[in-house]
Amino acid sequence: MLTRISYALRETWVSFRRNITLTGAAVVTSAVSLLLVGSTFLIQRAFDNLLTRWKGDVELIVYVRSDADATQIEVIKGALESQASIIDVAKLRYLNQAESYAEAEKLFAGDPGTLRLLTPANIPSQFKVVPISQDSNLIRELGEQFRNIPGVREVAYAQDVFDVVARVSQFIRVATTVMSIVLLVVAVGLIWNTVRTAMFARRREIEVMKLVGATNWFIRIPFMLEGLLQGVIGGVLSCLGLWGLNTAWSGAVADFNDTELAALVVTDGYMRFVMVILLLIGAIAGAVGSGIAASRFLDV
Amino acid sequence: MIRLDNVTKTYGSEAPAVRDASFEIAKGEFIFMVGPSGSGKSTLLRLINRQEEPERGSVWVAGQNINEIAESKVPYLRRNLGNIFQDYKLLLNKTVSENVAFALEVIGRPKHVIAQQVPAVLDLVGLADKGDRFPHQLSGGEQQRVSIARAFVNRPLILLADEPTGNLDPATGEGIMRLLERINTTGTTVVMATHDQRIVNMMRRRVVQLDRGVIVRDQERGVYD
Repeated sequence: MLTRISYALRETWVSFRRNITLTGAAVVTSAVSLLLVGSTFLIQRAFDNLLTRWKGDVELIVYVRSDADATQIEVIKGALESQASIIDVAKLRYLNQAESYAEAEKLFAGDPGTLRLLTPANIPSQFKVVPISQDSNLIRELGEQFRNIPGVREVAYAQDVFDVVARVSQFIRVATTVMSIVLLVVAVGLIWNTVRTAMFARRREIEVMKLVGATNWFIRIPFMLEGLLQGVIGGVLSCLGLWGLNTAWSGAVADFNDTELAALVVTDGYMRFVMVILLLIGAIAGAVGSGIAASRFLDV
Repeated sequence: MIRLDNVTKTYGSEAPAVRDASFEIAKGEFIFMVGPSGSGKSTLLRLINRQEEPERGSVWVAGQNINEIAESKVPYLRRNLGNIFQDYKLLLNKTVSENVAFALEVIGRPKHVIAQQVPAVLDLVGLADKGDRFPHQLSGGEQQRVSIARAFVNRPLILLADEPTGNLDPATGEGIMRLLERINTTGTTVVMATHDQRIVNMMRRRVVQLDRGVIVRDQERGVYD
């Protein structure tokens, strides 16, 4: 038994090194496709985080004209507080112009052109409203009423933004999933081809092995391990890449700590889960590619 | 030990390579299959080690109908059959010892068995001092001895030799024949396909002659024709 195991491992290693160009191509392709798979997972998770946060949070923002006077603001506030059956009065929050500008500085940090147009004097102040009612039509009706109150500049529904983000996230999900599946198929094909080439290069040995009575599994296993190893190495590389990407991303988002963007950070726990998935997919892709090759090309 | 019952084998749409062949080979026999190229000698050997399967008829080896055994059992059948070829089929990147050891390694024999069997069989074929050489450092006759050592190291019941002297000069060929004869005396059945008249006439063993796939003669202590 020990002879067999050491034989299989030795042969796997020899074959792995002999074919370094093809092996490299197969490993890199599987790494890239797995990286894309992992990114799909993380992007999805980030969007879900963001959407969940929005869902349970502000759904309506009443922007107040920058030239509105204190009386008008009090009227708007009173009108909002009178709707206790629809909105959560305790969570009603007013951001004055200075506070609104501070928020805008963070939101538009990446967009200095927009920020330059805003000053603490011309920016609208805002009421952030958290509804109690789940009925979005009711909330919309309420919003429409506020449009007509003097001093109100605009009423924004989080639902609208939510829908846009959800649509973008859906699009990204489909696009990255399709790309990663295509690349994964390419990776399986490359592993298949590498193993097939390795078997062809050693057809004399395989012929002798068959003639002296080696079992098919004995002949196959080193080649299958070779493919498996390619898939797993691809998986490890993709994990490293994904880890790097996520660290860089988290670092970038950390600057927006108290805005919604902070929700786009993916936690380490989920990251580990994704890495395990990537290693598994890599191993399966390698086993499938080499398995098909090893069973089809044994008749040499 | 080996029995063929009305065996017919055709490749594609050509005329049958072997047609309605029947014969029996007893344990410990030494038998020549003779006939010109394309007469079906090699096909008969390939039928016996189940590299080919007949369309009609059955092939029996060591009491088993080998056309009825499962695909997964074929390797175990082959462990009872040693194969020798005109082109030796040695692995060029392995030394003499490694080539012989390879045959034991790939059927899962433990290291200590290999360490003991390989020098013994190299001694038998007269290459005790050449274990570390590579095939390209050996003469044709020596390479054929390595191939015989590899075929015999597992002590098979039967040796199948396909034109083993085909690439060798007469004197070297005779040496190979003496070696096969010696192996035969240990009780191993030897089936040899050849068109080397001189060797057949020298050995005076049983001769089965083929002509276009048909057995036309089966003679004890025969000559080539």
